[in-house]
Amino acid sequence: MNAITPNAPALPAPVGLLAELTHRCPLRCPYCSNPLELDRRSGELDTATWQRVLTEAAALGVLHVHLSGGEPTARNDIVEITQTCAKLGLYSNLITSGVGGALAKLDALYDVGLDHVQLSVQGVDAANAEKIGGLKNAQPQKFAFAERVTQLGLPLTLNSVIHRGNIHEVEGFIDLAVKLGAKRLEVAHTQYYGWAYVNRAALMPNKADVDRSIRIVEAARERLKGQLVIDLVVPDYYAKYPKACAGGWGRKLMNVTPAGKVLPCHAAETIKQLEFWYVTDHSLADIWANSPAFTAYRGTDWMQEPCRSCDRREKDWGGCRCQALALAGDAAATDPACSLSPLHAKVRDLATEEAAETPPDYTYRTIGSNVQPNVRSPLNEEVSL
Amino acid sequence: MTAPFPTPVTDESQRLLSPDELAAALRDIGARRYHNLHPFHRLLHDGKLNKDQVRAWALNRYYYQAMIPIKDAAVLARMEDASLRRIWRQRIVDHDGDAPGDGGIERWLKLAEGVGFTRDYVESTQGILSATRFSVDAYVHFVKERSLLEAIASSLTEMFSPTIISERVAGMLKNYEFITKDTLAYFDKRLTQAPRDADFALDYVQQHATTPQLQRQAMAALTFKCNVLWTQLDALYFAYVAPGMIPPDAWTPGTGLVPEAAAATTAQAAGTGTLGPHDVPRLPRGVRLRHDAVRDQHVLLAPERTFDLDANAVAVLEYVDGTRTVRDIAGLLAEKFTADRAVIEADILVMLNDLATKRVLER
Repeated sequence: MNAITPNAPALPAPVGLLAELTHRCPLRCPYCSNPLELDRRSGELDTATWQRVLTEAAALGVLHVHLSGGEPTARNDIVEITQTCAKLGLYSNLITSGVGGALAKLDALYDVGLDHVQLSVQGVDAANAEKIGGLKNAQPQKFAFAERVTQLGLPLTLNSVIHRGNIHEVEGFIDLAVKLGAKRLEVAHTQYYGWAYVNRAALMPNKADVDRSIRIVEAARERLKGQLVIDLVVPDYYAKYPKACAGGWGRKLMNVTPAGKVLPCHAAETIKQLEFWYVTDHSLADIWANSPAFTAYRGTDWMQEPCRSCDRREKDWGGCRCQALALAGDAAATDPACSLSPLHAKVRDLATEEAAETPPDYTYRTIGSNVQPNVRSPLNEEVSL
Repeated sequence: MTAPFPTPVTDESQRLLSPDELAAALRDIGARRYHNLHPFHRLLHDGKLNKDQVRAWALNRYYYQAMIPIKDAAVLARMEDASLRRIWRQRIVDHDGDAPGDGGIERWLKLAEGVGFTRDYVESTQGILSATRFSVDAYVHFVKERSLLEAIASSLTEMFSPTIISERVAGMLKNYEFITKDTLAYFDKRLTQAPRDADFALDYVQQHATTPQLQRQAMAALTFKCNVLWTQLDALYFAYVAPGMIPPDAWTPGTGLVPEAAAATTAQAAGTGTLGPHDVPRLPRGVRLRHDAVRDQHVLLAPERTFDLDANAVAVLEYVDGTRTVRDIAGLLAEKFTADRAVIEADILVMLNDLATKRVLER
């Protein structure tokens, strides 16, 4: 290990690798965490490069690989890539929409040793779900996919991203998870980065609905104890303290984009001044230890007040850098989701305001759309990303 | 520290203790023998018991609560002094209440109902362990047969109860989602009643234990009472934690409950539910025990999470192979570590059930 980190022996090894194999996806969810500028197929890493990246990841200490996208099964080599994970002892987690070619590849993925499936569901009511995902006839495909997952004996997690358009369905998501035989359900309130930031006014729920959704989850956890584990991600804007984004910048997670750019979190590219390294130029270990993007906000030295002297600074690591940039105009500021941020009250007011207005139409995720976000800022000015 | 003079040679058991020394000696008995130290209580307060184990505790403990006024009536019957009786009878009022729906027994019934029992089943005491009945009855006999001093001294466990009650209420509210503040209303009253009762009883014992022999009797009486409480928990542990030997006719999970609670138990049994000693645990697909060479530690890899394992957990999970029962595994570990199988079994049941609740272990 010392060979990798000669100057910082205390540097912990990453535990997770988010492998964004492709940005191609049949769905067009308006809260997609992918960047606004999506990578094209022609720029995607080839199979051999991904296999090398996975080998380097295993040697570096990564335990979990999240095969994600876009829709990871849109890649023809998804089975080979999964098999490489299995051979290296890496825990493979397929994060999928379950539509398109996903079902056709599932048995082969099972055979090569896929460990876990996380299936997204956009809504409970089919019409609502398909409106959010922007794809007709998606819901029956998802259910058929889920059924095959549990038939094979693979553990299934349902992931529901919660927002104004489906917050009335939280109870339904729980029932659906039980019905589909999922062991875990993620009730994840939208995090406003990437496409979700652009669509914030269309997605932001009001506080009363958020509180109700939390109560429903808490009651269901008790009722379904031992049967269904429910993970709850509460919405930032209404929270008291921010989340430790990706477990702290450069502490646990590496994210490799389809083109091979390595990010500390999936939204990090919004911070334009950061210099990202590519797996095609550097080894993963070198990137982890020395890439300017990773060292920029690792630890606590970069912090300003109130983070710098806060006794939570090693709990939430100042929150999300991308959100700090988007809302406070400074990536090194305290995440305004934190109640200790001077902007927190304004952010909350902004959310309350947006949630009370008639929602605008979704700006659906599209490759090559050249979307310019036009989002209200707590700084009383329009912030362009 | 070195004493400046040689320690005087006296036979401690023959010396008359001052009132303060007597109180200290009595407190010392509690510090070593009171049932807050019992492993069952540690599990209860730390949230390590499952719902059925909490039920077994509530059900059995009801018999103790129900017999307390009978015990106190027996003490009362032996008091020749009206001023003493006026004070002591308050205990009976506390437990029985002044009217239906009032008093400590009623509040305990509420607790039992709160964890899912029907009132009739609890009041019938048909499901309690024989050991509970024997211990409690022994207490009633004791106060009838021994001196009034010993009868009163045996009640002095109340000196220690505020600590256990605070621990219990805080621990149970924090750790069990099915326990509410209302369910635990019994303990609210006891927090004020117990110290009042204990102050009186201690004062009485200090005044009336006037010879070394009487002081010894008072201490022995308190020790006896600690054993009454301890034995009940031994029996609960044996039947419902480990080795899980429920005697014939004693309560079994799923019975004596209101329909909703019974239905919830059945629904859970169909899923993973609670593992017992005879269940065969297994790691389902998607959960893997792995040695992490980079960090040189074992981890349990599971959907979206990693559990860091200590050496004990690894030792257990290495034996989880989908064919061995919990008891088999406990037996192998007992051999490997030359330790008591029952103790190991209890520990690993807690650990395995915790993993089952997190859906990373099945049977």
